[in-house]
Amino acid sequence: MNLQALALLSGTQLTHLAPVDIIILLLYFAVVLFIGFYVKGQTNTSEEFFLAGREMTAWIAGLSFVSANLGSLELMGWAGSAYQYGILATHWYWIGAIPAMLFLGIVMMPFYYISKTHSVPGYLQLRFGEGARGLSAASFALMTILMSGVNMYAMAVVMQTVLGWNITFSIWVGAVTVAIYVMLGGLRSAIINEVLQFVLIWAGAALIPILGLIEAGGWTNLKAQIAANVGSSDYTHLWSTLGTFKGNPMGIHWTGIVFGLGGIISFGYWTTDFLVVQRVLSANNLRSAKMAPIIGAAFKMAVPLIVIVPGLLALAVLKNADGSLMHLVPGDIAKATGQHAYDEVLPLMLIRYCGPGLLGLGITALVAGFMSGMAGNVSAFSTVWTYDLYGAYINKKASDKHYVAMGRWSTVIGMLISIMTAYLVAHASSIMDYVQSLFSFFIAPLFGTVILGMLWKRATKEGGFWGLFAGTLSSIGMFAYVHTGGKAALAHIALSPDAQPMAENMYRALWSWIICVLVTVAVSYMTTAKTDAELNGLVYGATVIPSDGATTIWQKPVFWACVVAVVFIALNIIFF
Amino acid sequence: MAEGTGRGDALSIWFFVGVMTLSYGIVLLPYGAWAWFGGHEAPTVLNNLHPTFWWGVLLTIFGGFYTLRFRPRSGDTNKV
Repeated sequence: MNLQALALLSGTQLTHLAPVDIIILLLYFAVVLFIGFYVKGQTNTSEEFFLAGREMTAWIAGLSFVSANLGSLELMGWAGSAYQYGILATHWYWIGAIPAMLFLGIVMMPFYYISKTHSVPGYLQLRFGEGARGLSAASFALMTILMSGVNMYAMAVVMQTVLGWNITFSIWVGAVTVAIYVMLGGLRSAIINEVLQFVLIWAGAALIPILGLIEAGGWTNLKAQIAANVGSSDYTHLWSTLGTFKGNPMGIHWTGIVFGLGGIISFGYWTTDFLVVQRVLSANNLRSAKMAPIIGAAFKMAVPLIVIVPGLLALAVLKNADGSLMHLVPGDIAKATGQHAYDEVLPLMLIRYCGPGLLGLGITALVAGFMSGMAGNVSAFSTVWTYDLYGAYINKKASDKHYVAMGRWSTVIGMLISIMTAYLVAHASSIMDYVQSLFSFFIAPLFGTVILGMLWKRATKEGGFWGLFAGTLSSIGMFAYVHTGGKAALAHIALSPDAQPMAENMYRALWSWIICVLVTVAVSYMTTAKTDAELNGLVYGATVIPSDGATTIWQKPVFWACVVAVVFIALNIIFF
Repeated sequence: MAEGTGRGDALSIWFFVGVMTLSYGIVLLPYGAWAWFGGHEAPTVLNNLHPTFWWGVLLTIFGGFYTLRFRPRSGDTNKV
């Protein structure tokens, strides 16, 4: 989401809250703070604080898993992208998520779960030793805490743009509330709030597509109106326009979507980003751990209804006061012309259909999304800091009680660093783009390292470390090359002179993953592998995977994964 | 056992989901009724469908069901 541009918009707010809206917002804050105090008594050990006692059911872990990625930054950004690029934005919710989530549940979760690791860097330590763990833990801790600050600033900017709230007020209210409930309840608090947020997002946003489709006269009429308004039917096809870079509004080729997004970026994010994997590690048994990502995938498939459909509806129904069609524009143009920016599409649609009360519910959903994003980042940070950095390198032999105290303190300190990041971004907003890019440096190579570690016995400690290091370095190199070399450099990375900036991430991920895999394989063949006995519980072929306890077909995770896969394929065919 | 909130606690995560949505239903329903029957509907698109009222009804039913279904019962506490 281009918040830089949103931040630059004119000071005029979009709407204001009525007393009934404020009641709804205050109710939310009261409930989340109550939950923090309520669960504090149940977070006395490190396993309770960092892994919610490993007692979450598949439904809770699954909803939390999908909700951790359903932040307001994503919702508003992708609604804006749907307006800008049409239904192609749905790829980030379907092929860019579902196959990876199912793969995590069926193939990878058994190893994460039975190795009893507390984190993804923790798995790397078991499989590849301290070098790979240290590299991934340090980069992850830095990135999550910076992202928490970006979320904080994003919330403040949205609240300023939509409601005219003071930026400092929003930053501190959000930060203090999140710090209190995560410090008190750890991951348990964060998970409960994520489940609440998931329900709130639907309660607050589902009316937009419902009323929008009524106004547009149904899906078929909506497609016809969009085609008439933009002069092309490309905006409502998922795949048929991806044969060439020039044939679609996004300037991307199907190979980028399938291999870059669907193959690498999404697998990297959904299977190795500890922020989401931590939710599944809290499951109460192996079957729940396998089912949680599958349940998450089922709900993920429905999210375009509240994100993509509003963006598409805006192309058809959003009007100016004089009845003419409203044209949203990029943020920098909006600043100059006084028009609305792409990223404002969700608030604009909310205001279009929702009066007092419903507006409060929608705003509360956005606030909940931002706060849950901060909580997710800060709880993952405190776990990786305490287990994989402090406990691994600074104080190895402290008591469990000491690590819990460190978890609570690192939550508070993490929030303070986030606040500093938020102010830093506020004063130099281009930093935000770099922070958001930083994640992409590590995710694709990390997936290469983890997947080889799980599936290939021959991968060695040295191979894992140098593969991860080379992949990350190449990703940073390609990023710098494109950002200094302009369109010509982009054409080299994406293999086409017609490629648009959106394609860069996908091809960069693909190349950095390939480099990671090649280096890991090459170095592994030059070094000595571990024995099967040493790899027990960590790698396919060296591990007897225990039964998940399913006796009937209805209890088998693989059955439900097939059901989700069939629906996923059907949806792609329907909207082809 | 109360799901999600920790061993031995009486309040399940689903109870919180119920209470929160029921609270919102209880706020929206009378406000929507006042707006509809008192002629105070906000000038939003499709306000003739009275979305605040009907959304309030839906949230009240949903929240009421979850609140009742997962309400704390005697004997739920201190189970491990």
